[in-house]
Amino acid sequence: MPVVVHADKCNTCHGSHNPPCVRMCPGDLLMKDPKTGKILMRDPAECWDCLPCVKVCPQEAIEFRLSYQLGFHTARLLPHIHDTRDFITWELIDTEGAIDNFTIRTKVLPVELDEKIEGVAAVDFSI
Amino acid sequence: MEQNIIETDILIIGGGTAGCLAAVEVRERFPNLSVTIMEKAHIDRSGCLAGGMNAINAYLNPGETPESFVKYVRFDSCGLIREDLVLSMSKLFEYCVKKVEKWGLPILCDEKGNYIPRGRWNIKINGESLKPIIAKAAKNAGTKVLNWVVATNYLVVDGKVGGAVGVSIRNGNLFIVKAKATIIATGGAAGIYKPNNAHDAQHKTWYCPYNTGAGFAMGIRAGAEMTSFEMRYIGLRVKDTIAPTGTIALGVGAPQINSKGEKFMATKYAHIGGDGAPTPYRSHGPIQEIKEGRGPVYLDTRHITSQQARDLKSAFLDMYPSMVLYWAANEIDPSKEPVEVQTTEPYIVGGHTQSGYWIDVNRKTTLDGLYAAGDVSGGAPYKFVSGCWAEGVIAAMNAGEYAQKNEFMEIPADIIEEEQNRVFAPLLSFTNKKDGIRPYDMEVRLQKIMEEYAGGAATFYEVSEERLHVAKRRLSTLPDQFKHLIAEELHELMKAHEVIDRVYVAQTLVEHMLYRKETRWPGYCTRTDYTERDDEQWLKFVNSRRDVVTGNIEVFTRPYEQIVPGDRYKPR
Ligand SMILES: Cc1cc2nc3c(=O)[nH]c(=O)nc-3n(C[C@H](O)[C@H](O)[C@H](O)COP(=O)(O)OP(=O)(O)OC[C@H]3O[C@@H](n4cnc5c(N)ncnc54)[C@H](O)[C@@H]3O)c2cc1C
Ligand code: SF4
Ligand code: SF4
Repeated sequence: MPVVVHADKCNTCHGSHNPPCVRMCPGDLLMKDPKTGKILMRDPAECWDCLPCVKVCPQEAIEFRLSYQLGFHTARLLPHIHDTRDFITWELIDTEGAIDNFTIRTKVLPVELDEKIEGVAAVDFSI
Repeated sequence: MEQNIIETDILIIGGGTAGCLAAVEVRERFPNLSVTIMEKAHIDRSGCLAGGMNAINAYLNPGETPESFVKYVRFDSCGLIREDLVLSMSKLFEYCVKKVEKWGLPILCDEKGNYIPRGRWNIKINGESLKPIIAKAAKNAGTKVLNWVVATNYLVVDGKVGGAVGVSIRNGNLFIVKAKATIIATGGAAGIYKPNNAHDAQHKTWYCPYNTGAGFAMGIRAGAEMTSFEMRYIGLRVKDTIAPTGTIALGVGAPQINSKGEKFMATKYAHIGGDGAPTPYRSHGPIQEIKEGRGPVYLDTRHITSQQARDLKSAFLDMYPSMVLYWAANEIDPSKEPVEVQTTEPYIVGGHTQSGYWIDVNRKTTLDGLYAAGDVSGGAPYKFVSGCWAEGVIAAMNAGEYAQKNEFMEIPADIIEEEQNRVFAPLLSFTNKKDGIRPYDMEVRLQKIMEEYAGGAATFYEVSEERLHVAKRRLSTLPDQFKHLIAEELHELMKAHEVIDRVYVAQTLVEHMLYRKETRWPGYCTRTDYTERDDEQWLKFVNSRRDVVTGNIEVFTRPYEQIVPGDRYKPR
């Protein structure tokens, strides 16, 4: 179950046809549900656990979960990008609920909520 | 389905580490040339760098020179490398690193502003955003980017490459990109062998699972010469997460120990450097310990302080965040217990080992108009991020020269039609008959053959003439089965072509492993029938070329040339 999308937190990036989470997945695994516009995971078994989708979501609606065969419930790892975009704080919660924060320097580039695709009409890429 | 026909001076296939740097370099040196990147994902986060990086693994720290680098890489690759290629790339490390730092990559420095070395060749970075940083530079340079266009074949006429064909997985259009020069930079190949983890963690591989050998396969199909596929990459990685171990071994100086607490590298491999032995031996050592019943094997981290353990976690968060969650979810504290390691499924990766296109020092392949850079090009191991950048730069300079002197080629319509039929066949088969082979099923079939007969983890990666012949025979049936592949939608169509490409890579790989009758790289390709290294007969490259008409793979050798003097089996 490598990433889960919390549908209640996803605001569809205000109806974006080509939202950041979809764009950032190197395996083309996230897609828009044609009915609700919310984000679906095509196939958890194809996920590399690389996390660009998690880090880029402005609503923090996508959460990384270690496949259960690799680790116990409910340890969590939640990245929070600082507003200045110079730092990222990783909130690590162990199976007992103890929290540890790691703040690391980075350089997060601003990301558009939507993006056109060369040669493709918006209706074609919204699913 | 429509056709999009595009003309560009330079086409770069794969907008990853090497591809992005190549794009910038062409635009800077030849502002009159147009550049197009064809990328199967989105260049902002595609390929190996998607998750981030925490170090630049090939850099000349103070006191080191291109020659000392060549000596080390030659030692690390058991005495056989293309010294001309390794020399030329190492001369550009500084240039590339400075460039990317200028674009915004945070590199860790001491109080005096010097980079902080990690071992002889590494420097530490905060590279979580490395990929978007280089992608932005490529876009700012005026590159036209075709995201989500999966390259499927070159446009080849009389052995000359004039661009490539790709399929858009957003609208199903066929992209026909004609170019005066083409640079292939699609990375290496994962998914040839059965993965270490199953079920919903089967893609928890070390190498990027979306790099599926497309560049190799396109070259093989077009009759390009390939080298050293038999030097597979089997890395020592953290158990279960398959996270890189350099961060631990180099970061805090952790030796390998077996279940009896013995430092087996230090004792059994002392003559070749102990824990600093060539990389294949650092995989071979633990494989032997496990085979002989002294596993599990660990990196001994029990000496580190709790602050060092925190720093280790920070380093992984920049590159491989799941490692940190894994420790938390399994209540593991690396300062209190050693970190269990294992070896990975085998990959074909020209940037760690040296499988790939046979190229000249200009990064030109054996096909006119085609240049290769990064994990897809052969002969130069130990490239890592910075070596891939350097190769991208060299390929760009020479492809640019070539494009200045050459025109667009006439592409006969039947070539395009044939490729169009090949590309869309799985979609049509699904619509017409619905019954057939799903790409995933063929992938598992391929991986089963490779795992069981071509040296998978279950057989301790060992190979022999007899077993390889079984692999060869079983693989030979797979191409006839391609016509049964079905794909329900465009994502699955991409997967169909991924598995087709992997079959071509696997066939070439088996031929190479059969040909080299020695064990040069224990662990990577241990032959049970030729257990020793044999410099007299095999100090040379094993190369191959597939006949475009008959499909037969011809295997032959090319000589090794020593340029940097010294003992080839010494790191200095
Ligand atoms: C997990 C991991 C950690 C690593 N850590 C480090 C490190 O800390 N330091 C270091 O120096 N090196 C590290 N490396 C090695 C380094 O990242 C690679 O050697 C290097 O990034 C490879 O560059 P490349 O350009 O050849 O491939 P990539 O950067 O992977 O680029 C290949 C591109 O081609 C695209 N592509 C593939 N197939 C097609 C197709 N059919 N059509 C169109 N596009 C296609 C891919 O989507 C991708 O964008 C690491 C590698 C991995 C996997
Ligand atoms: S980025 Fe987040 S909020 Fe935007 S569409 Fe994706 S999941 Fe929803
Ligand atoms: S973790 Fe990586 S592979 Fe998995 S869905 Fe997110 S971006 Fe895609």
